[in-house]
Amino acid sequence: MQALHTAATGMAAQELNVQVISNNIANLRTTGFKKQTASFQDLIYEHVRRVGAQASDQGTILPVGVDIGGGVKTVGTPRSMTQGTLSQTGNDLDLALSGEGFFKILMPDGSYQYTRDGTFQMDNQGRVVTAQGNPVQPTMTIPNNASGLAVSEQGQVSVTLPGSSTSTIVGQLGVTRFINKAGLQPVGNNQFTETPSSGAPQDGTANSEGYGKITQGSLEQANVDVVSEMSDLIAAQRAYEMNAKVISAADQMMQSTTALFR
Amino acid sequence: MQNALLIGLSRQMTLERQMDVIANNVANANTNGFKADHSLFEEFLNSNAREDNFIASDRRVSYVQDRGTFRDTGPGPMEMTKNPLDMAITGDAYFAVQANGGERYTRDGKFSLNSTGQLVTSDGNLVLGTGGPITFQPTDHDINVAPDGTITVLEGTAKTDSIRGKIRMVSFDDPARLTKLGANLYAAGSATQQAATKSTVQQGYVEKSNVNSVGEMSRMVEVMRSYTAIANLLQQQSDMHKSAIEKLADVPA
Repeated sequence: MQALHTAATGMAAQELNVQVISNNIANLRTTGFKKQTASFQDLIYEHVRRVGAQASDQGTILPVGVDIGGGVKTVGTPRSMTQGTLSQTGNDLDLALSGEGFFKILMPDGSYQYTRDGTFQMDNQGRVVTAQGNPVQPTMTIPNNASGLAVSEQGQVSVTLPGSSTSTIVGQLGVTRFINKAGLQPVGNNQFTETPSSGAPQDGTANSEGYGKITQGSLEQANVDVVSEMSDLIAAQRAYEMNAKVISAADQMMQSTTALFR
Repeated sequence: MQNALLIGLSRQMTLERQMDVIANNVANANTNGFKADHSLFEEFLNSNAREDNFIASDRRVSYVQDRGTFRDTGPGPMEMTKNPLDMAITGDAYFAVQANGGERYTRDGKFSLNSTGQLVTSDGNLVLGTGGPITFQPTDHDINVAPDGTITVLEGTAKTDSIRGKIRMVSFDDPARLTKLGANLYAAGSATQQAATKSTVQQGYVEKSNVNSVGEMSRMVEVMRSYTAIANLLQQQSDMHKSAIEKLADVPA
């Protein structure tokens, strides 16, 4: 009976749905996290009677057909790249982006990764690095006797050096955009890599041409809305249960047939 | 007497198919833009039922067969996603997409961009505007979709809107003639299309499946009970046969 297999595809889809939702909820407090939603499509149909076919010798045309669908498949888990809310931390090197773009990070192997998580620190050489110790691009070094670190909305980093009353610019943070940012590949650690689907990275200046504005002393929170995740979770669980009910009903129907003529 | 068996079987076969339809609806309870199917039945008179040995020889045997599955084209609930590229249609129109094999139609408005900046469906099929595929520039931001489907953006440092295209919405005089192809796509088939005038696009929303789960569950129980009832009927028929044979063959000593 087809219904058994159809309901099984439904159960598998809802299982994946719950997996995606639970990952969103687990990352409720992850800086710069972007939530995902599972996206489903119906499977191919068996056209038992094709709509528009000739129905009789008199030439009447079937107004409706008999189409039996084969269930559901997962087409993707697209990432929602909407802005997360900013929360103030007061740390000079906590940077938040509001708007388009990512911070560019140089990995030890020479490749680049991109992140919305602006929890930066200084390493022992005075370089601005991520929590994993990888330098933010373009690399900048803060002199160890400097004070009054300031990052402008455009990403200009300036400090006050001892014996000087004016601030000195020590570097310029870059922001990178992708035409299809939802096509980036997550690699963990809040970071993403470029893929053929994301398009080539375009480096630019913050707070110009649609690139996001940098806010110093703030971090971007995850864009997960816990209320909608909970309601999605309930919906997924009920859908899972219903598919299980279909399986047991189809099973009972088959049982009543096999019990015949004993 | 054998006819009862055959009639029961014909009913069981249609019930089985109805169960398949219900299973597909339930499986797609979370599929964006999915439209539920329902089964239709009709009486099927067998003209070859004449059996000269029976008294009521000219009575035709009435079977049941499924005539079709009709689609509930009613709207599904709108879910707010805030994604600028998610679109839902209010009204009876469909989005036109360019798929393998030609132009196809969908109600699933979960769109994104591909690496060249073109507006695509989850499968990567191009979404068609009134002037062909819709392409965005790398420096575009603040994408806005008007209710009539016009897409405007701010390009680079420009302070005025640039138009990137207009979503093509298509409606059909007889949407029942659209054929479901799977992958949330429909083929036009013999249905004639016209430009949709009464439909609007809602940006930041996705239309969910219009499957009514309570209805599906009650129909499922109904189907299951009817099926078992017929199984019982067939069993009784068989028992009758058995006892008739036993009684007739019982030769008294």
